[in-house]
Amino acid sequence: MRESKGYSLQSKFSHIYIEQKALSYPVTRHILEHFPRSVKVVIQHYKDVFNRPHQNFRRQKDSPKLILAVKEEPFFYQGPEICEDFGNKNFYYTSCILNCLYDCHYCYLQGLYTSANIVIFVNIEDFFKAVGKLLEHESLYLCVSYDTDLLAFEGIVPYASRWIDFASSKQNLSIELRTRSVNYEAIRGLKPAEQVILAWSLSPQEVAQRYESLAPSLEARLLAVKAAVEDGWKVRLCFEPILKMQGWQEIYSEFLNNVFATIPAEGIFDANIGVFRMNREQFKRISRFRMDTDVFVYPMMCSEEGIMSYVEEKEMKDFIRQKLVRYLPEHKIYG
Amino acid sequence: MIYIVTALPWEARPIIDRYNLKREGDPRYFPVFSGNDMRLIVSGVGKIASSIAATYLLAGEETGQDTAIVNIGLCGAVNQEHPIGTSVLVNKIVDHETGNEYYPDILLKHPFIEGSIETHSRVVRRENVDGGQTRILADYVDMEASGFYQAAVRFLSPHQIYVIKIISDYLDVKDFHKDRVTGWIARAVDDIYGFLEQVRMFCKSNEPVFSEAEQCYLENIKERLRLTVTQGHQLVDLARKYKIRTGKPLPDFSDVIGIEVKVKAEGRKAFEGIKRILTAE
Repeated sequence: MRESKGYSLQSKFSHIYIEQKALSYPVTRHILEHFPRSVKVVIQHYKDVFNRPHQNFRRQKDSPKLILAVKEEPFFYQGPEICEDFGNKNFYYTSCILNCLYDCHYCYLQGLYTSANIVIFVNIEDFFKAVGKLLEHESLYLCVSYDTDLLAFEGIVPYASRWIDFASSKQNLSIELRTRSVNYEAIRGLKPAEQVILAWSLSPQEVAQRYESLAPSLEARLLAVKAAVEDGWKVRLCFEPILKMQGWQEIYSEFLNNVFATIPAEGIFDANIGVFRMNREQFKRISRFRMDTDVFVYPMMCSEEGIMSYVEEKEMKDFIRQKLVRYLPEHKIYG
Repeated sequence: MIYIVTALPWEARPIIDRYNLKREGDPRYFPVFSGNDMRLIVSGVGKIASSIAATYLLAGEETGQDTAIVNIGLCGAVNQEHPIGTSVLVNKIVDHETGNEYYPDILLKHPFIEGSIETHSRVVRRENVDGGQTRILADYVDMEASGFYQAAVRFLSPHQIYVIKIISDYLDVKDFHKDRVTGWIARAVDDIYGFLEQVRMFCKSNEPVFSEAEQCYLENIKERLRLTVTQGHQLVDLARKYKIRTGKPLPDFSDVIGIEVKVKAEGRKAFEGIKRILTAE
């Protein structure tokens, strides 16, 4: 389609920017073998490319590049208020990859980062060491697929498997691996672990098709969820972001019926409901350049904490909860 | 609009001919040639000159998404991997004096080889490189790219800035004859032309939310209703949201704006009416 517009885009990951100090890492070699035809550009620091001034996120999303870097401390962060902690103490998140393969209209990453390029930190062992050190003193609930979708990258860099392996050996660690991917086959060979929650973000097909560019269909996601449940994994269903659109009540009612017609509710570990919301600054930044979507044009309000959401946020959440309690017990529903 | 910066008039000549550019009237500061939605400036040699020339072109202009700027010129190759006359699209620029590095985005397919370039303030000689007095961290050397890029990125995004260099020597040149310079650029000009047409289409491919008629209509409303600057921004914002949300053209406001506004309060009242229409759907 783009070629008919009079220009041809470079393929995804046509260029790989590699920090000098990342060159010797096994993960770097693994990724470079995966992309033998990509142009390699050696750089001093990943921020020299990732944080350049005046980048155009939308344009870069047309042809995203890879940046391979070595992460320095800190390796994990305190979980933010805006995210559900599912009743866990010591809620932390970690980001061994920055940015996502998908292009969801509502994604906060496009307001958080000035670049659509993808940073992969190749020193995964340092992340494990840092988490291991913290675990000596306290138990931890750690979201490992944060600011990215790790399972979607599994074919490029097997970090989802690495985290599952790591967590499986730790008694006081619980990790959440959140995804929209249907790449479940990539981790299917691993033994389901008590410490690991596979969390799928699900949206009605109308939402997926219209607002979740490049992400798999609802049907494909449900099949992946079903397989994971049958294999004995702890599976979380994330009904977020709930989006406002014409006829949203009917759309979401039908959607929940569809979900639980495919997935046995008793096999679900827990679920959460989150109406579309976003930090005010990110919301303002994104709505300035996303002229191609209606996600940011509905009447919104800003909470005292600086979080933007629909005026009808509570009504929407209550509506979904009412529907969801037909399938799941109250204590398994968060949000 | 595509802007081009070349250091020398002989580098500019084949591009001027290919695009049929005409010299602009006032050559007070720089020779500038324009036509076919393009402006070309001859900066003179050196990164400061290139930086000033790029700034001269871009400052004060409406540099939106449909703008791109290109530095076209010659470079020396550190090794002899590619023959003289090969065109290079630069993916990394190193400033020799500061060590700072710059990265233009390479989002479009192109017919060139790619490489890194190091910008020096003086001519780089092979004997100095081989003798270890000059250390080079890039594939090619030139005297403009880093200054050009630093100026351009103040105004444009990295995907709107390109550096295309033609290999003229292997750091062993004694002097350039202007005909040879023109010849190298002339042989590359078809590839450059094809690439710049792509750049032009890529930069233009953002569909504006409002048609030209709608833009005029909104301006007319602002004027008729004597809206304040803030109200004017609100009007445009609400109109944009209406169009994106509904997918429809702007509604007809003639009932609301038909009144003659003598005092601002009347304008404000009419504006409230417009807001109601734009948020009703």
